Amino acid sequence: MTTSTIRTRYRGKLRRRLSGLLAIGIALMATGAMYAAAAPRPQTAAVAQDQAALARDGERLFNNHCISCHGANLQGVPDRGPSLIGVGEAAVYFQVSTGRMPAVRQEAQIERKPLKEFRHADGTEMAAEEAAEALGAFVQANGGGAELPQERGAALRGEDPARGGQLFRLNCASCHNFTGRGGALSSGKFAPNTDEASEEQIYAAMLAGPQSMPRFSDRQLTPEEKRDIVAYVKSVVGQKNSPGGYALGGFGPISEALAVFLVGLGALIGVALWIGAKA
Amino acid sequence: MTTHSPDAPQVTGPNLGGRDPSELSREELATLGMKLDDVEIVHATERWPVPGTRAERRAERGVAAWFALAAAGGLAFLAVFLFWPWEYVPPGSSEHWTYLWYTPLLGITLGTAVFAVGIGVFAYAKRFLPEETAVQRRHDGPSTDLDRRTLAAQVLQSAQTSGIGRRKVITRTAGLGAGVLGLGVGVVAIGGLVRNPWRDGDASPLWVTGWAPTRPGEKVYLRRDTGDPLDVVRVRPEDLAAGSMETVFPFRETDREDEEALHAGLRRSDSPAMLIRLRPGTPTVQRKGFENFNYGDYWAYSKICTHLGCPTSLFEQRTNRILCPCHQSQFDATHYAKPIFGPATRALPQLPLDVDEEGYFIARSDFGEPIGPGFWERKS
Repeated sequence: MTTSTIRTRYRGKLRRRLSGLLAIGIALMATGAMYAAAAPRPQTAAVAQDQAALARDGERLFNNHCISCHGANLQGVPDRGPSLIGVGEAAVYFQVSTGRMPAVRQEAQIERKPLKEFRHADGTEMAAEEAAEALGAFVQANGGGAELPQERGAALRGEDPARGGQLFRLNCASCHNFTGRGGALSSGKFAPNTDEASEEQIYAAMLAGPQSMPRFSDRQLTPEEKRDIVAYVKSVVGQKNSPGGYALGGFGPISEALAVFLVGLGALIGVALWIGAKA
Repeated sequence: MTTHSPDAPQVTGPNLGGRDPSELSREELATLGMKLDDVEIVHATERWPVPGTRAERRAERGVAAWFALAAAGGLAFLAVFLFWPWEYVPPGSSEHWTYLWYTPLLGITLGTAVFAVGIGVFAYAKRFLPEETAVQRRHDGPSTDLDRRTLAAQVLQSAQTSGIGRRKVITRTAGLGAGVLGLGVGVVAIGGLVRNPWRDGDASPLWVTGWAPTRPGEKVYLRRDTGDPLDVVRVRPEDLAAGSMETVFPFRETDREDEEALHAGLRRSDSPAMLIRLRPGTPTVQRKGFENFNYGDYWAYSKICTHLGCPTSLFEQRTNRILCPCHQSQFDATHYAKPIFGPATRALPQLPLDVDEEGYFIARSDFGEPIGPGFWERKS
């Protein structure tokens, strides 16, 4: 054997090993790619599992906080609470996240309040929004009804607050006032101020029609129109969007005329007195 | 009466010192005018007896600064008005603040300009006009008897010399001309207000609304307002969830290509109607003579209050009450919108509903009765 033949044989072995490695690598990558393409998306499974877990958590909360008025099977209890079958996640989310439910007592209007009574399974305090999501999932799973979109917060604001404003004035302003200050209804009921409501609460209220409010289905106001309305309401919260600098309560001519009368006239009288004193 | 002296005032007339008024200087004429008006300057001192002092120049600069500020304010106002981005920007982005400052900036700049002009004039008067005190004698009581008699005589005399009293033809034609002119002006001014509201008989405006078919067999659909008058969306029963309310307007297929009619359909003040879907199983009462105006759980009522015509669009879904915000009238939506509280005495007129073969809501006819507040010719 010469050195050259040894080298050739050695080289041939190396080439075979390298090409074998390469082939296995390509095969593995191809399998991986095929698996990735064909396999079910793991996120979906996780969400479904989350939803089931959420509903189970909601059942626990329901049994602790809601069952005495709404019944073990969501069927309601006469003279205490209505049936929750068909109200859907949106209604539950609105009522619980704003603190209106659990209600303290039956009265003309159940008002927004801070809630601190919900607990996690391990006993730690649970935020009202979190409890609302869990209870919503439970009621949705068992009773069905109007569902909230997946997005939360600013993602629910539409692109066209001007159209939202037009729709708001047509559909909402008769009760809530044209900048959402709210107003009186019959027998002690009232339409609340929309300042404190979050995007998802506004959206849920339109879908569910809580208390005196009529419902606005997705065929009556499309999801895009609802989002535009949310954008409009969010654009007139508090002192936002008051080109004069101060909204004066935002309910129109009474406070504005009073301000003009007291401040404007007062200033004119003051100037007149000052000029008179100087002369 | 040989010398001109302000210390020797004349009782009978102005002292011209025997000169023609055209010979007097401007200063003398001004003094004379004051004297004729019985004005007397009691005290007058120059603000700046020595011209050109440093203090005077400083005062001058002070006044000029105010006028310069006015000019700057006016220029800034013009610039803001012409170039500032005024279009609405929703909150959240930085441009929102730029938009928010548009109106205040207009006010601030224009206010500065007006204020600075005022203060400038004021400061000029305070610092440069001579400090003087003038007294004008007030004439008490009426003019003298002689003055009044002569004035009356002058008026009558001028009427006499014009000869108008003798020329009857001219007096009458002048009266005719002026009278006809006045009549014309009067007709123009108030003629537009005089109209016969009943000219169209049974189709007169107070009897019918935009829902009345304009030709036989015409379908009048219920249409929703989406904010865009050209976007026609007809209402179907499944659009409304149980316990909801929607404001609807009349729509005819002939309006579809007619932009003006599409706008007018949404703006006509007697047309808005509330389409209400009650919750299933709600006990209802139909009105005598207007039976089957509802379509199942769907009821449509005029939105115009029968008290004074406000929009009664506050619908309480839980109690099925319709509220009017102006005077708190309440109507029961389950009981043909009968008034149950407040000053309204008549039920809201109901729109007869039906669904056509395509599944769209249509109005079978106009409202069952005239809408809105009562009027004399109305018998019910």
